Amino acid sequence: MVLVIWKGLFANIMAEPAIFIGLIVLIGYALLRKPWYDCFSGFIKATVGFFIMQAGAGGLVNSFRPIMVGLKDRFELQAAVIDPYFGFNAVNAAFAQMGWTTSLIMVALLVAFVWNIILVALHRITKIRTLFITGHIMVQQATTGLWLIFIGVPFMQNNIYGVVACGLLVGTYWAVFSNLTVESTQELTGNAGFAVGHQQMLGVWITDKVAGKIGNKEKSVEHLELPGFLQIFNDNVVATSTLMLFFFGAILVVLGPEYLAKNKFFNPASGELFIKYIFKTTIQFAVYLYILSAGVRMFVAEMTESFKGISDKILKGSLPAIDCAAVYGFDAAGGNSILFGFLFGAIGQFVAVIALIAFHSPVLIIPGFVPVFFDNATLGVFANKKGGFRGLAIICFCSGLIQVFGGAFAAGAFGLAAYGGWHGNFDWDTLWPGIGWLIQNFGSLAIALAIIVMLIIPQLQYRRNKKGYFAAANPDMEPELSTNPA
Amino acid sequence: MLKVVAACGNGMGTSQIIKMKISNVFKRLSVQADVHHMSVGEAKSQASNFDVVFCSESLMSQFKGGARTKIIGLKNLLSEQEIEDKIKAAGIV
Repeated sequence: MVLVIWKGLFANIMAEPAIFIGLIVLIGYALLRKPWYDCFSGFIKATVGFFIMQAGAGGLVNSFRPIMVGLKDRFELQAAVIDPYFGFNAVNAAFAQMGWTTSLIMVALLVAFVWNIILVALHRITKIRTLFITGHIMVQQATTGLWLIFIGVPFMQNNIYGVVACGLLVGTYWAVFSNLTVESTQELTGNAGFAVGHQQMLGVWITDKVAGKIGNKEKSVEHLELPGFLQIFNDNVVATSTLMLFFFGAILVVLGPEYLAKNKFFNPASGELFIKYIFKTTIQFAVYLYILSAGVRMFVAEMTESFKGISDKILKGSLPAIDCAAVYGFDAAGGNSILFGFLFGAIGQFVAVIALIAFHSPVLIIPGFVPVFFDNATLGVFANKKGGFRGLAIICFCSGLIQVFGGAFAAGAFGLAAYGGWHGNFDWDTLWPGIGWLIQNFGSLAIALAIIVMLIIPQLQYRRNKKGYFAAANPDMEPELSTNPA
Repeated sequence: MLKVVAACGNGMGTSQIIKMKISNVFKRLSVQADVHHMSVGEAKSQASNFDVVFCSESLMSQFKGGARTKIIGLKNLLSEQEIEDKIKAAGIV
């Protein structure tokens, strides 16, 4: 009897992530004592949003086929787009093929979030000051984290052990690395009251330490005139379409009309021109990415509100770690660092892609919009503050190189190149390939080790600056003040 | 009912934060407002359907205000004080 109920529960809720995330939102809203109609609409929007996202994901997989098949067939090459959405898509496709349950990703996310709350609540011991609340990033990171564990640790595959391990690992990363950005973000923003909770937190920390040494902050970006056309890259639809047209277009040209016609991807008999075929095919990526993001936006909006409401009730005085774009308004160069960061990151990525081709890498990397823009723009803002134009140029160029090389390694090493994508943001091309590699080779031991080593980081930060440590985040958090007011 | 949109690069993280903050401010000022969030690309095409567009200061140049539409650029997205001051300065309430 119990088994029957469990089976029914599993098949209809647990194995259906859209309904599962809807219920998480519903429970969150109920705990916040929202009126029943708000709970209901939250449930509906989270569920519908998730299904929209899946529709976009399905479309992306289809548009990818000619390119994946062609590269494999003709050149024994795999291509991966380094972009968190393509990476997310790749993991979901891989999960489907393995017969694994994608809802487990949502459970892992929930465990990670709760773990982050616990780490903040115990801040006197853990020295963690930040709660990671960037919902769409949490979905992507829990996804990639779970994949790394499922493929690396056999006894954790597709079960609750793996889910809990992923929650603890990813939750520790959220807490520790967002905590690592507190000082630099507060300095940049004049104590605006937030930390970065995104995909390049290690990058922000490195930039903050390095930029001043390699650059000169007196020579800021603001004195430079910027070509106006760069403005179009502020529009994600235009930016994605342009990047995809350029890179996938080049691949389609190399594959050639004969090959694509022979495999029935392209139909010249209908009178379709090859150039129109290229344009239509590549623009489809922007179309499905748009649908996918619309779905993500819808369900994440509900999820974030539910999570934020709950955490506000439990935790007072902790610092929210939010989207990296929140620092853009604090750019000392009035936004120019953002576009220059993007520009130098893009140059770095192009150079690295050419190097991959020249050295016959088995995995070809296609730059996705999110890492090349958001990572490098963010690093650019921090770099300009400490190291001026020179600091920005060097750091963002190197970041571009690292993103492509790290992404190529990770996409190949963790088997996701076969599904066409890798997470691809800075931390996921540096820190996480390292953690992932350890997990593949040392299994569950590596997970435990990674968590412990990460948890030591805030202890070291605290030791260096005992007095101002908690005050840097929020005066209310100072344990010395609250325990003995004398 | 005031129609408001919060916009950011990808229409995900930052605009969602701004949306929650402006909803709080409007609630406190007892102004009925319907608040959406989306990417700059979308918001640009739809700006004329809204009374107010909120975005980060660095993105203000992307928008052209109109007879109906006011553009408000924020420096600190988390500061409800700044939002309130700028709403008042723009003469919305």
